Amino acid sequence: MSMTLRHHPVLGGKAALRLKDVTLEALPEGHVLQLLAAAPEAGPGLRERIGDSDLRPLAPGQWLLIGNAPLTPEDLTGLEERLKPVADIVDQSHGRVRIALSGPAARAVLAKGTAVNLDAAAFPVGHAAQTLIGHIGAHLARTGEDSFELTVLRGFAESLWDDLAQMAAEFA
Amino acid sequence: MASLIACPHCGRRPKEEFTVKGAALARPEPQAGADAWFDHVYLRDNPRGPYQEFWHHTSGCRRWLVVTRDTATHEVEEARDAALWNRETAR
Amino acid sequence: MTSYRLSQGGLIDRARPLSFSFDGKPMSGFAGDSLASALLANGQRLMGRSFKYHRPRGVLTAGAAEPNALMTIGKGGRTEPNTRATLQELYDGLTARSQNRWPSLDFDIGALNGLLSPFLSAGFYYKTFMWPAAFWEKLYEPFIRKAAGLGEAAKESDPDSFEKCWAHCDLLVIGAGATGLAAALTAGRAGARVILVDEQAELGGSLLSETATIGGVPAAQFAREATAELEALPNVRTLARTTAFGRYDGNVFGAVERVQKHVATPQVGRPVERLWRIVAGRALLATGAEERPLVFGGNDIPGVMMAGAARSYLNRTAVAPARQMAIFTTNDSGYALARDLEACGVALTAIIDSRPEGAAPGLYKGQARILTDALVRDAHGGKSLSAITIARQGRTETLRLDGLAVSGGFSPVIHLACHRGDKPVWSDAQGAFLAEDRKGLALAGAAAGLSGLAACYEAGARKAVALLDQLGIAATAGSVPTVEGDIVAPATKPLWSIPGIRGKAFIDFQNDVHRADLALAVREGYAHVELAKRYTTNGMATDQGKLSNVNAIGLLAEARGVSPAEVGTTTFRPFYTPVSFGALAGSSHGKHFQPVRQSPLHGWAKKNGARFVETGLWYRSAWFPRTGETTWRESVDREVRTVREAAGLCDVSMLGKIEITGKDAALFLDRVYCNGFANLPVGKARYGLMLREDGFIYDDGTTSRLAEDRFFMTTTTAYAAGVLNHLEFCAQALWPELDVRLASVTDQWAQMAIAGPLARTILQEIVDEDISNEAFPFLGARAVSLFNGALKGRLFRISFSGELAYELAVPAGYGESVADALMEIGKPKGLCAYGVEALSVLRIEKGHVTHNEINGTVVPADLGFGRMVSAKKADFIGKHMLAREGLTAGNRHQLVGVVPLDPAASFRTGAHILAKGAAATLENSLGHVSSSCYSPHVGSTIGLALVRAGSSRHGEEVMIWNGLRGEYTPGRLCDPVFIDPENAKLKI
Repeated sequence: MSMTLRHHPVLGGKAALRLKDVTLEALPEGHVLQLLAAAPEAGPGLRERIGDSDLRPLAPGQWLLIGNAPLTPEDLTGLEERLKPVADIVDQSHGRVRIALSGPAARAVLAKGTAVNLDAAAFPVGHAAQTLIGHIGAHLARTGEDSFELTVLRGFAESLWDDLAQMAAEFA
Repeated sequence: MASLIACPHCGRRPKEEFTVKGAALARPEPQAGADAWFDHVYLRDNPRGPYQEFWHHTSGCRRWLVVTRDTATHEVEEARDAALWNRETAR
Repeated sequence: MTSYRLSQGGLIDRARPLSFSFDGKPMSGFAGDSLASALLANGQRLMGRSFKYHRPRGVLTAGAAEPNALMTIGKGGRTEPNTRATLQELYDGLTARSQNRWPSLDFDIGALNGLLSPFLSAGFYYKTFMWPAAFWEKLYEPFIRKAAGLGEAAKESDPDSFEKCWAHCDLLVIGAGATGLAAALTAGRAGARVILVDEQAELGGSLLSETATIGGVPAAQFAREATAELEALPNVRTLARTTAFGRYDGNVFGAVERVQKHVATPQVGRPVERLWRIVAGRALLATGAEERPLVFGGNDIPGVMMAGAARSYLNRTAVAPARQMAIFTTNDSGYALARDLEACGVALTAIIDSRPEGAAPGLYKGQARILTDALVRDAHGGKSLSAITIARQGRTETLRLDGLAVSGGFSPVIHLACHRGDKPVWSDAQGAFLAEDRKGLALAGAAAGLSGLAACYEAGARKAVALLDQLGIAATAGSVPTVEGDIVAPATKPLWSIPGIRGKAFIDFQNDVHRADLALAVREGYAHVELAKRYTTNGMATDQGKLSNVNAIGLLAEARGVSPAEVGTTTFRPFYTPVSFGALAGSSHGKHFQPVRQSPLHGWAKKNGARFVETGLWYRSAWFPRTGETTWRESVDREVRTVREAAGLCDVSMLGKIEITGKDAALFLDRVYCNGFANLPVGKARYGLMLREDGFIYDDGTTSRLAEDRFFMTTTTAYAAGVLNHLEFCAQALWPELDVRLASVTDQWAQMAIAGPLARTILQEIVDEDISNEAFPFLGARAVSLFNGALKGRLFRISFSGELAYELAVPAGYGESVADALMEIGKPKGLCAYGVEALSVLRIEKGHVTHNEINGTVVPADLGFGRMVSAKKADFIGKHMLAREGLTAGNRHQLVGVVPLDPAASFRTGAHILAKGAAATLENSLGHVSSSCYSPHVGSTIGLALVRAGSSRHGEEVMIWNGLRGEYTPGRLCDPVFIDPENAKLKI
C-alpha cells in the first residue's frame, strides 16, 4: 500500500514570536538521540564517534545528540554501530521538540521558570541542564550569550510554548 | 516556599524537582529471613537530627540520591549518588 | 477643609498634582505622596474604624507596621482590601474606601460595641458565646463576622497578571537605608553579585525622611546618588517596592515586588506583582527598627502618631502632622522631631520626657517646654485628639493640642532572622530583642540595635565585607562619609506601664487588645506568652503584632515580676507582611494552571469527533459520537460491537513506554517482575506483573524483547512516571553493578490498538512484512516496515479487548497520518474509532484488570495470577514478603465476575457484595464491585469484584448493595472472563 505520509510537527502551526527583547521560535524536528552509556562515569570517545550533531549532557552517562536534519534509518544504524562500544542510542527525534529563545531578555524570561542560575559564570555557553520550567520538565542548553534552546517532551510542547509566550509578554 | 537540595550532578535545585522516597536503607540479602524483611519493609526510625533519605532528582538528571538531612533544622548536610552510596556504604 | 501641606520642602513633585478620592470625596496630592500622607495633607485624620470596638482611628506609622489606616483600593476585579495607606503610593485616579464601618466612617453604628466592651473583653469568644450551642452558627458567628473585620475581597476575578521569578546573588541586602546602601555599595564595588531590596517606592529608607547631611549633601540626595551608582553597576540588581517576606531553607528568601500597584491602569503583559525566590549566598538584614508605641489611655485617638512617622510626613512629604503638637518620648529620638517641627514652623507645645534626667545636655536648642520625669497618662478626644493629661511628680496637667508624637524606644526588625526557628534574645542594654548572626545571614545597623547614621553606615559596609569574605570575595569597607546634624538616640530603659490610666490603653491597635485584656489573661492563668497571645488575640492581626508584641511581652514580664527574657517571644514565621493570593499563585491559573499533555493522535481524534476526558494531564478520547446517537452509551455500545464484529482503532499512546537496554537488561527485568523474563525470546511480548517490596502488585503491562539486549516495556497510563522512577531506583540504588540503561519513550511513539476480527486484513495493507498467524503469532513483537518502506514502526500482537488485536507504534510525528490511512483503508470493512470507555467495556468483558482491581491490596493469586509468580527465581522485588501467612490465606478477596439475576437490573462500581439473605451491614460485606459496565455481549450490566474466597464461589447468588443510594440488586458471582475463556479469538 503506498500513501502519502505527512509529518506533523507539533509546533508546526506556531509562527516565531518576535518581541522587542526576545524571540521565541520552534526549531525543525530534525533529530534528537538519547545516548546511554553503561555507567554514569563512562563517556570518553563519544565525541570522536559522532558527526556534526550537537552533543549536550543530559545526566551522568547520558547525552542528547541534536541536529536540525532528520536522520535516515541508515544514518541511525551507522551511528548505532559506531557508538555501540560506548553508548546505546534511543531515538527521541519524535519524542522531543526544540524551542529556541533568544534576545537580551532571554535570561529574564527563563528565570521566571527555572531555578537554575543562568549567570554567565555559572551557566556558560555550551552548558546544559535538565530542569523544570514552571510545571514542565525541559532540557535547557545555552547556545550563545543571549540564546538558549529548550528540548521538551512532545506532549508538553504546546503548553511550554504558551507558558513561554506569557513569560515573554512583558518584553514586547 | 522553597528548599534547595544540592544535587551532586546538577547543583542546587528546588525541592519541586525532586521526589522523596523515605529512609535510605540497604536492601536485605534474599535469604535474610522473614524478620529482617519485615523490618526493612515496615520499620523506620524517626530521629530528631541527621537522617538519610532517598531522593530522586525526577525533573533533573533522574539520578537517585542519598540525602542526609537534619529533621530538626532541614539543613542538608550531604547529597550523594545512590549508586556510589550502594557501592561504598550499603554493603 | 484646610490643607496641612507645608509650602515648601519634601521629596514630593509639586509640578505633578494627582487627584484621588476617599470614601467618594475628591482630594488631591502630589507625586511622591503615599495615600496616607495625601490624606493627612487634606486634613483627613479619621482613616478607619477599629476591629472590635469600632473606635475611630488615624494613621499611626509611615510604614509596613501600620495597624489602623487599612483601606480598600481600586474597583471591580482590581479591588484590593486591607491596603496599608502608608505603603500605597498615590496615583492619579486612585479610589480609596474606608473599612469596617456602617453606614459611614463618620457615623458608625458598630461604635456601640465600645459601650458593650465589658462583654467584649479578652477571651469573650470563649465565654460569651458558649451557649446555647445552636446559636453559634446561626447568630453569634455571623454577627461577629459582620461587626468585626477587615475589608471584603472582590467577587470578580482579577484582570491582572502575576508571576514568579528566581534570582541568584552572592549578597542579598534587605533594606536600603544607610546600612543597606553602605553594604550594597561595598559589595557592588567589589564586583559581587548583589540584590538590594526595599519595600518603599524609592531606595533610601530613613534617609528619605532625614534632615542630616551625609558627605556634605542632604541625606535624601546622598541616597539618590548611591542608588544611581548601584543601578549603573551590571552586577547589582535593585528592587524597590519589594518586601522580603520570608527566609526559607537553603538561604532562599521570598520577596514580593509590587510592579504595577502604583498605577491606575496596569500595562498589559506585565505582572502587577512578582514573587521573587532569591537564592542568596549570604544575606544582610538592614531592616532597621520599629518605633514602639507607649501604652497610655486613649493612645489610639486620631492625632496620636509615632514620632518617626511624624518626622517622615513632615520631612519627606511636607505635611504637618497637626497644628499644635506635643512629643512624648523615652529617648533622644523625640528631639529630632522637635527640632524639625520647629524648623518647619509647626507649633510645639511641650516635650514630655519620661526620663528624670531628660535628653543629653545641649542636644535640643529649641523653644518648646520640656517636662522631664513626666508621663502622658491619657489622651482625650473623639475622632480627633483635643487634649492630653500629663502626670508629673504626683501632679497632673492638661494640655490642649491636636497632635501627639510618641516614641517608646526601638525594636530592631529581626523577623527574617528568626523564620527558621532561631529565637530572639532579650538585651537589657538595648531594651529590645535582638537576633544573632547565623550561617548565611547577618544583621547590621538599627536591625542590630545601632543608632546613628554614621554608625549604621560603618556597620553595613563592615558586615558586607565580612559576609563576602566567607564566599572568598575580597571587598573593602572604604571610609564613612561625614555625617552632620544627626541626632543619635542611645537605647534607654523601656517604659512598659503608665500608672493611673483612665481610658483604654491599647497594646494591639489592629485587634483592639488593651492593657486590661492582658491583665485579665494573667489573672486567669494565661500569662505564658503563647497563651496570652491566643487568649487576647494580641499580635494575631494582619500586622502580626509589629507594634504590639514587645509591649505585650514587657507588660507580661512586669505582671509576672520577671525579665522579658524569661517571658520570651512567640514564634516568628513567614510572612513578614501579608502577601496576596495572586502573587502566591503566580501565573498558575486559567490555561496556565497546569500543562496539557497532548497525544500525537489528538488531531486524529478531533477529526473523528472524539469527546475527551481528562486523565491526569492527558486528554484521552472517551468516545466518538456519530450522527443520530443521543447518549454516550449508544456510542460506546456501537464501538464495542464494531470491535467484536469488525475492527476498531484506539489511541493508546498515553501508555507509559520505557526502553531498557544494556547487557544485564534481561536479568534486571527478572528482578523487577515477579514472573520470568530472562527466557523471553527476541521478537516476543510477555505480560508482566510488577510487585512492591511488600508483595502487593504495583503495576502491570507488557514487555517485548526487540533484541538480545533491548526491551520495550509498557506501563499503565496512571503509573507511567512512577514505574520509571521505580526502575531507576532499582537500577541505581539497589543494583548499580548491573549494566542496565533506561529511557522513557512515551512521547516518541504514537501507539494505536487495532482490534477485531478484521484487524489483520486492515493492517496487512500498510505493513510490508507478512503478519499472518503463522508468520506473526499471538504475542509476536517486532520492528516492521510500513507503506513500502516509507516508515519504520513496531508491531505487537497483544490484546486488551480479547479480540484478534495488534498495537502499532509509529514515530509520533507520523501518528496522525498513519491513523488517517488506517481509517481510510478500514472504512469499507467497517473500522471505527473507539475511545477509552469502549476500551474499558471490552476489557471488563474479557476479565482484564486495571488499577480498579490492582488497588494496593491485591497479590497475584488474588487475581488468578498465582501461577505466574516464579518459584525458580532466587530474588525479585516482592518475593520475600509474598509468602506471609496473610497473603496466602484462602479467604482473601479474590477476583470474580458478577451479573444481575435480572438482565434488566443494574448496579454500580463500588457496591458491596453481601451473602444472600445477609443483613446489609459493612460487617457482612464480602467485598466490592471494582469495575462495572453495560456489556453488549452479555446483554446486561456486568462487573468485576473482589470477593472473599471469590474464586470458589462462582455460581453463588448474592446481593449487590449500594448503601449510598439504597440500591439492592440480586446477582450471581461468576467467572471473571465473560468472553472467549479459551482465548481462541487471540490465536486465529
